[in-house]
Amino acid sequence: MTRFLIQLAFLGLLAGPVHAETVLIKGGKVHTLSGIGTLAQGDVLVRDGKVQAVAPAINERADRVIDARGKVVTPGVIAPQSELGLTEISAASSTNDHAVSGESIGSGFDPRPAYNPKSTLIPYNRAHGVTRAVVFPSISTWGEDAGKLHRVFAGQGFAITLNGGFDSVVAEGLGQKAYLGEMGSQLAGGSRANAYARIENALGEAREYLNNREAIRRGNWRELSHSLADLEALQPVIQGQQPLIVTANRASDILQALELAREYELRLIIQGAAEGWMVADELAAAQVPVVIDAVNNLPISFESLGARSDNAARLQSAGVTVAIGGPGYGSTHLVHLARQSAGNAVVHGMPYEEALKAITANVARIFGLEGGVLQPGVIADIVVWNGDPLEVTSYPEQVLIGGQPQSLVNRSTRLRDRYLKPEQGHEMGYRF
Amino acid sequence: MQLHALCRGGLLSPRALAAAFTATFLLTGCGGDDAAGKKDAADFARLDAFPSTYSVEQSRPVLISGATLLTGTGEMLENTDILLKDGKIARIDDGLKAPRDALVVNGEGKWVTPGIIDVHSHLGNYPAPAIESSQDGNEMTSPNTAEVWTEHSVWTQDPQFPLALAGGVTTLQILPGSANLFGGRSVTLKNVPGRRVQDMKFPGAPYGLKMACGENPKRVYGGKGQAPSTRMGNVAGYRKAWIAASKYKEKWEKYAEVGGEQPERDLELETLAGVLNGDILVHNHCYRGEEMAVMMDIAKEFDFQISTFHHAVEAYKVADLLAENNVCAAMWADWWGFKHEAFDMTEANIAIVDQAKACAMIHSDSAVGIQHLNEETAKAMAAGQRAGFDIGPEHAVTWMTLNPAKALGIDDRTGSLEKGKMADVVVWSGNPFSVYAQAEKVFIDGELMYDRDDPARQPRSDFELGIIEAEGERL
Repeated sequence: MTRFLIQLAFLGLLAGPVHAETVLIKGGKVHTLSGIGTLAQGDVLVRDGKVQAVAPAINERADRVIDARGKVVTPGVIAPQSELGLTEISAASSTNDHAVSGESIGSGFDPRPAYNPKSTLIPYNRAHGVTRAVVFPSISTWGEDAGKLHRVFAGQGFAITLNGGFDSVVAEGLGQKAYLGEMGSQLAGGSRANAYARIENALGEAREYLNNREAIRRGNWRELSHSLADLEALQPVIQGQQPLIVTANRASDILQALELAREYELRLIIQGAAEGWMVADELAAAQVPVVIDAVNNLPISFESLGARSDNAARLQSAGVTVAIGGPGYGSTHLVHLARQSAGNAVVHGMPYEEALKAITANVARIFGLEGGVLQPGVIADIVVWNGDPLEVTSYPEQVLIGGQPQSLVNRSTRLRDRYLKPEQGHEMGYRF
Repeated sequence: MQLHALCRGGLLSPRALAAAFTATFLLTGCGGDDAAGKKDAADFARLDAFPSTYSVEQSRPVLISGATLLTGTGEMLENTDILLKDGKIARIDDGLKAPRDALVVNGEGKWVTPGIIDVHSHLGNYPAPAIESSQDGNEMTSPNTAEVWTEHSVWTQDPQFPLALAGGVTTLQILPGSANLFGGRSVTLKNVPGRRVQDMKFPGAPYGLKMACGENPKRVYGGKGQAPSTRMGNVAGYRKAWIAASKYKEKWEKYAEVGGEQPERDLELETLAGVLNGDILVHNHCYRGEEMAVMMDIAKEFDFQISTFHHAVEAYKVADLLAENNVCAAMWADWWGFKHEAFDMTEANIAIVDQAKACAMIHSDSAVGIQHLNEETAKAMAAGQRAGFDIGPEHAVTWMTLNPAKALGIDDRTGSLEKGKMADVVVWSGNPFSVYAQAEKVFIDGELMYDRDDPARQPRSDFELGIIEAEGERL
């Protein structure tokens, strides 16, 4: 049955989206993460790539029926932080397009033209239940770039769906990313205060540009320290149309970022927030969401001395919208491990469905993406799990993206099968 | 050094003794009457140079009653009692009576495993916080730094040790980094607080020698315009060193046999010679299948044994060779893609190696991962089941207990729940192969070193005092 569906999916992919198809997922435990709540046993009907209905029992004919009895149905996992499609092998520089260095470009950097939907990371993470991802650039401070002065803005983000299609970029201009804290200090020449000043300077010049665009473009203006491309890219940020993602871990750095957001009326997202629990009330009051590595409890730097395992739980209970990303040690290759991190957040006090939301609904909400919940009218990114999706021994049995069943084959399964079942005449390479 | 000082038979590991007794020089040179100053084999391992001062003693007997035991020997015993006494596992049975003064742990609904052993850690030599001045794990100044001993880098106050303890880790091997062909000696520690690293040293555990294949050495030294800059350069570097070590060993053996002028000690060659005579175990960072095969050939050429390939992302490609050569593989559940040599990852790696009857184990190489080795093992077990293997918790538990103990040469003392072994025991809140399981109580040599319900039994390093709040502790 599964193999049949996978074959169909391949045909579907080759033939392009088949939106007219209906899919009925029957009898699973459905976590809608929406107002519909959780159905101990329910059906999900998908039509034209969207969820059409979620109900205890749907008696409607469908082109494809997925028996989900004994299984768990959730929205697809959404990675809140990744470089998917911009990297293949971290230590192979030719395969990396997510990081630039130097002072030539900052907020104007848009990595989208470098995006490769055929990256092996995409089918691999899809097979583990990730259906959508936020992709942001970073700044290289390694090797020859170490010790140089850099912009503190990394550039613009976009969002993808993990169907591997050439049209899989689903949102652009998702926001801007900038660095405060220790990374900001390193980029700005040795003090986090200078990173802050540089962000203020950029935002100030962006305002100046907004109010004097014609004169500046004519060259009839004082010399600005940012390029027109950088200033253009900041316009949606200072006008509140795009969020500014700021990395900050130390409690005082987070508060400083909140101050910045107040002053410039920014939509702020804090990334990192290792000591977020110490200023959870302030984050909640400012309605600033956080993207965290919920499993990193190490005092790994002096800006994260307060790192602890119940950070996610404490932030959530204070009313902060929490998104959980893949663990830092796994990098983009393992963004799917966000669900293991979410499971650990549950162990440390986060309510179960809140942890599920932290890898789905909250990510969609924070970045304004489709998906993340199951309710009528929403994009049908759906995973049918063999069991509890936050349990490490569980895995997806079916993944739908935009209503389309996806292949769950990837290099990891291909290599496994090659060495498990050597074929006649094509024996394992090592039988010399 | 006088000849009699070299006769340290009592301090050699059983494995080393067995190896030594096959050598004629020892039979003629060391008759057991070391007090009389007769000649002996050279002591390359130097276990007495910085001897273990580990001294945890069990304060009272412990009875864990009615728990589910994963023994680490392939058994799952339900509703069973286990008695820990005098630092050892005293009895495993039904209906055991608690001795007077015993700490009785109600094991109903709980699972009990041997303490977790991590064969690959950098706690203490890459401590937290990670700042410039604390990066003491990699002596990146020469491709062969077999002369360094990583215990001399271990910061015992690394706050990551107690975090690993809360994850059920009772024993761990600290390794030097992988920049060099020969990175230096490892040290095996018990996860207890200590002022001196010697207070943590696993008594009598053999030393390891860290070696590294592949990308790291050739990148680090090739980048400096020196050898090695290629994989073939790596192999030439290993072989040259083993040739020198063989000569060094012969020189000392000859001296032990016929006397004469005492050869000069050489720290680098001493460690390599310790491998050649079987006292020091090779722990080899090696990702690729063909490189593991080459390393096993080198071991044959110079007549030594590789204990374990670490990181072994492609171990599944050479699982039969590992079994044939009696070499273990230490693997991750799913790490991949950070280097080209880590590109061919399959999550069934551990299971495939295990099913080929090679010694397979999980390892962390991460201060976060070490806290979750039960979860990592669970993922590897599930991947094995998906690959079609019949692997249950009673077997998978060996990947984080007995097999790493074998890799470290301490499986006669710890790594399983067997009478007479060290009482290194973890009481879990439930089935440990679940994201929701937590280590509730961790015993090391019978002493309760960690108790999730008792903050007084949760060690904190010096670093954690007065951090963030002057009157508080970090957590």
